[in-house]
Amino acid sequence: MGIKIGDAPFHERAEKAINDQFMRQAVAKAQDGLRGKKLKAAESLGNWEDWRALGEQIRQHTLENLDYYLYQLSENVEKNGGSVYFAETAEDAQDYVKRVVRKKNAKKIIKSKSMVTEEISLNEAVEEAGGEVIETDLAEFILQIADHDRPSHIVVPSLHKDKEKICELFKEKLGYTGTSQPEELARFVRRYLREDFFQADMGITGCNFAVAESGSVSIVANEGNARMATTLPKTLITVMGMERIVPSWEELDVLVTLLCRSAVGQKLTSYITGLTEPGGMDGPEEFHLVIVDNGRSHILGTEFQSALQCIRCAACINVCPVYRHIGGHAYGSIYSGPIGAVLTPLLGGYDDYKDLPYASSLCGACTEACPVKIPLHELLIKHRRRIVEEEKKSPKSWDFAMKGFEKAANSPGLFSFAAKTAPYVLKPFTKDDKIERGAGPLKAWTQARDFPAPKKQPFRDWFDKRSKEGK
Amino acid sequence: MKVSLFITCLADIFYPEVGKDVVEILEDLGCEVDFPKNQTCCGQPAYNSGYHKETKTAAKHMIEAFEGAEYAVAPSGSCVMMVHEFPALFSESEKEWQEKAAALANKTYEFTQFVVEVLGKEDLGAELHRKAAVHTSCHMNRLMGIKEPPQRLLKHVKGLEVVPLSHSYDCCGFGGTFSVKMPEISEEMVEEKTKHMMESDADLLIGMDCSCLMNIKGRLTRKGCSIEVKHIAQVLNEGRK
Amino acid sequence: MAIENREAVLSQLSERLGRKRPETVEKPDWTISPQRSVFEGLTQDELVSKLIEQCEAIHTEVKLATRAQLIEAVNSYLKEWGAKTVIYANDKRFNDYGLSEFLINESTLDCRMWESENKEENIEFAKKADVGMTFSDITLAESGTAVLFNDGIKGRPVSLLPESYIAIIPKSTIVPRLTQAAEAIHQQSMRGEKLPSCVNFISGPSNSADIEMNLVVGVHGPVRAGYIIVDDKENL
Repeated sequence: MGIKIGDAPFHERAEKAINDQFMRQAVAKAQDGLRGKKLKAAESLGNWEDWRALGEQIRQHTLENLDYYLYQLSENVEKNGGSVYFAETAEDAQDYVKRVVRKKNAKKIIKSKSMVTEEISLNEAVEEAGGEVIETDLAEFILQIADHDRPSHIVVPSLHKDKEKICELFKEKLGYTGTSQPEELARFVRRYLREDFFQADMGITGCNFAVAESGSVSIVANEGNARMATTLPKTLITVMGMERIVPSWEELDVLVTLLCRSAVGQKLTSYITGLTEPGGMDGPEEFHLVIVDNGRSHILGTEFQSALQCIRCAACINVCPVYRHIGGHAYGSIYSGPIGAVLTPLLGGYDDYKDLPYASSLCGACTEACPVKIPLHELLIKHRRRIVEEEKKSPKSWDFAMKGFEKAANSPGLFSFAAKTAPYVLKPFTKDDKIERGAGPLKAWTQARDFPAPKKQPFRDWFDKRSKEGK
Repeated sequence: MKVSLFITCLADIFYPEVGKDVVEILEDLGCEVDFPKNQTCCGQPAYNSGYHKETKTAAKHMIEAFEGAEYAVAPSGSCVMMVHEFPALFSESEKEWQEKAAALANKTYEFTQFVVEVLGKEDLGAELHRKAAVHTSCHMNRLMGIKEPPQRLLKHVKGLEVVPLSHSYDCCGFGGTFSVKMPEISEEMVEEKTKHMMESDADLLIGMDCSCLMNIKGRLTRKGCSIEVKHIAQVLNEGRK
Repeated sequence: MAIENREAVLSQLSERLGRKRPETVEKPDWTISPQRSVFEGLTQDELVSKLIEQCEAIHTEVKLATRAQLIEAVNSYLKEWGAKTVIYANDKRFNDYGLSEFLINESTLDCRMWESENKEENIEFAKKADVGMTFSDITLAESGTAVLFNDGIKGRPVSLLPESYIAIIPKSTIVPRLTQAAEAIHQQSMRGEKLPSCVNFISGPSNSADIEMNLVVGVHGPVRAGYIIVDDKENL
């Protein structure tokens, strides 16, 4: 599975999504709510731009010294009594986790929300090693019982499902008999999962930020399931993307603040857990930290390095007008929205994902929303340039059209000729100053809207005439 | 003050009346307006599509066309933003072009920004008794940060009531080549934009960028909606007549 | 305890960064520090007001008490919530404030202090307990957060497993925001001291907005939370 969702080409997936009215309503409602909450939370600080600038500085410095900080982190985790595994690929990470699962003979594993474990197909690996994985984050739980549906949003993975759908699902799969009230559904899950937490042999969590100076990992959450996973089972495995690290607790403060406000509009989430030492007195006896590269190191040192600044808050997704209409699954990747369109081709390659960088009107809402100032829309343009100039994967018709454009843009005579002749060329299509059904590139345009008819006298001719008349 | 008008392709070919209004307003404000005849396109369609070699050709051409200008003014924040991208198109080995590009970027202004920030004028004496919604174009508003000038100019239009527009911050779905590369998504975006517009109290939509206006108007007329669409230069100039 | 595959991965990073891995890295002086100006210069009483204000937003009840009123305040929560079983942290402040004495000897409820020596049994008890009670070590006014320095002794499950949670907040522990708590931990780390095995930042009851973005209070952690701010500076 990995990051990939489905095999259909992008346009097919987008069209399917556009026709899914339930999903679109759910997404629009969520976007409006999250956007409002985030703006309020940001405004209440009074100097949000300063916070963003500081967030950016911290992330840039950390990435520029990533090797150093990861080294320091691993030294300190070991000193605290934990084990560290550096996984170059998804397979490496899977193999290590399988090894631990087998060694501990873990049968029941409780897991809290984590995108990187989704990225490396960790659940499948654990199951191969004989463990049963129970997703305990409410959204992930919903997806798991929906026959392993895939996440459509990096913070609320089940965003595409409304409460009626969830209620039906619970009835069908779990024998639920209540109503579709979210409170009732959530209480049901509390009771349903309660015993699993106590019986579990192992917990698996993601990591929002590791702290290099003390070898700590932090987990930002609301439901209490992540605390369960890091408190009750004897063995704990935490999996982190290698860029999710801060130098010290001082920087943790800033990034956690940015994350909570940007992701859910909370000042802090209900539970932020900073784990430093296993030892078993009131927590796990054994701790394993798996640091995952899986393509990230290839982004470092390139024009896309700033994409690694991402703290997975989904602020860009929550304001994206394209995501609003197609939802997450249309991106064909567990990383959706603007950051998904930037990251997915870097992790999964252009062969499968060359359409994603074009799934943006470049309106810049993402760039404006990003709490660590990733220039997302600019990175999308960089992808497009790479696809055209280096990968040579652009459609031939576009290459041809752009050659023509270059010629016209470089020749005022040709440009002016085109302007003058446009009304005549388009005349057959024109009716009452507009074109309702065009051909060529205009065909796509006029499927949804009218195109204006070119004016008989372009501006340049008017100005020329006026100047000659002595004005 | 000498102003060289950067008309932009869309205004040149489809909305020459916008250009005429810009010329008349600037002249009335005491500017001497000229039109560098060699100007073509800023290159944005190529740039945003990833064709940066082709963009460079267009950029070089425009840099030369406006070489003698004191100020370059365009009735489009989007095209102005592209001109501001020019310096980054050239590498260190093209220092001379880099400098020329920076010089052009430094003297290129969006129309309302020029009137308010350079000429220091806000009240152009226009009058229009209508309820209007304003579309703040993304490139100009968000990426160029030109937020206040249009608001200030419209505030002084006598009789004009600017009404709230739900989701006014969302893109209209044009996005240049996006509208033909991703037509199904672009359609949904402009559909939502026009839906919000029709739910507002406005019978007029005012914008600062012909590209967004072309997109929104195209959808409105397709839906048979009678909301009128005007560029801010039209509102300001017609209102004085 | 081991570190595996480190060199293979880190050497690639160094190569990508175009240099050898540095021996030491000086953190730059960040050019701005907006985090330090939040609630800067507020008095302790003003911070208390900010804390109370935020608690409303996080669905957390607050009671104010003097040292002498603390037992009464605890008792009123227990009564209001109809509590029958209580577990509290292994924290000497329960003795200092006379709470252990009250809970174990005077109260008619089934009360127990967490003991790590009987971990399994205590977890069983905590799991079924109506109320878990801890002191806050640092309290963040801005976010309504009780910060618990869980050192293995106090008992992490106390604030997690019972149905309801009470945090006793000595007024002197209240600071503006996360910044001051993070700074304290950072200083501890700089001095080479052992950090608490787990620091828990708790802001109200557990919740989720995963279903249609509607906030549901009470998921896997406590479904209800109450704070008692106790004036610890008086009568000293």
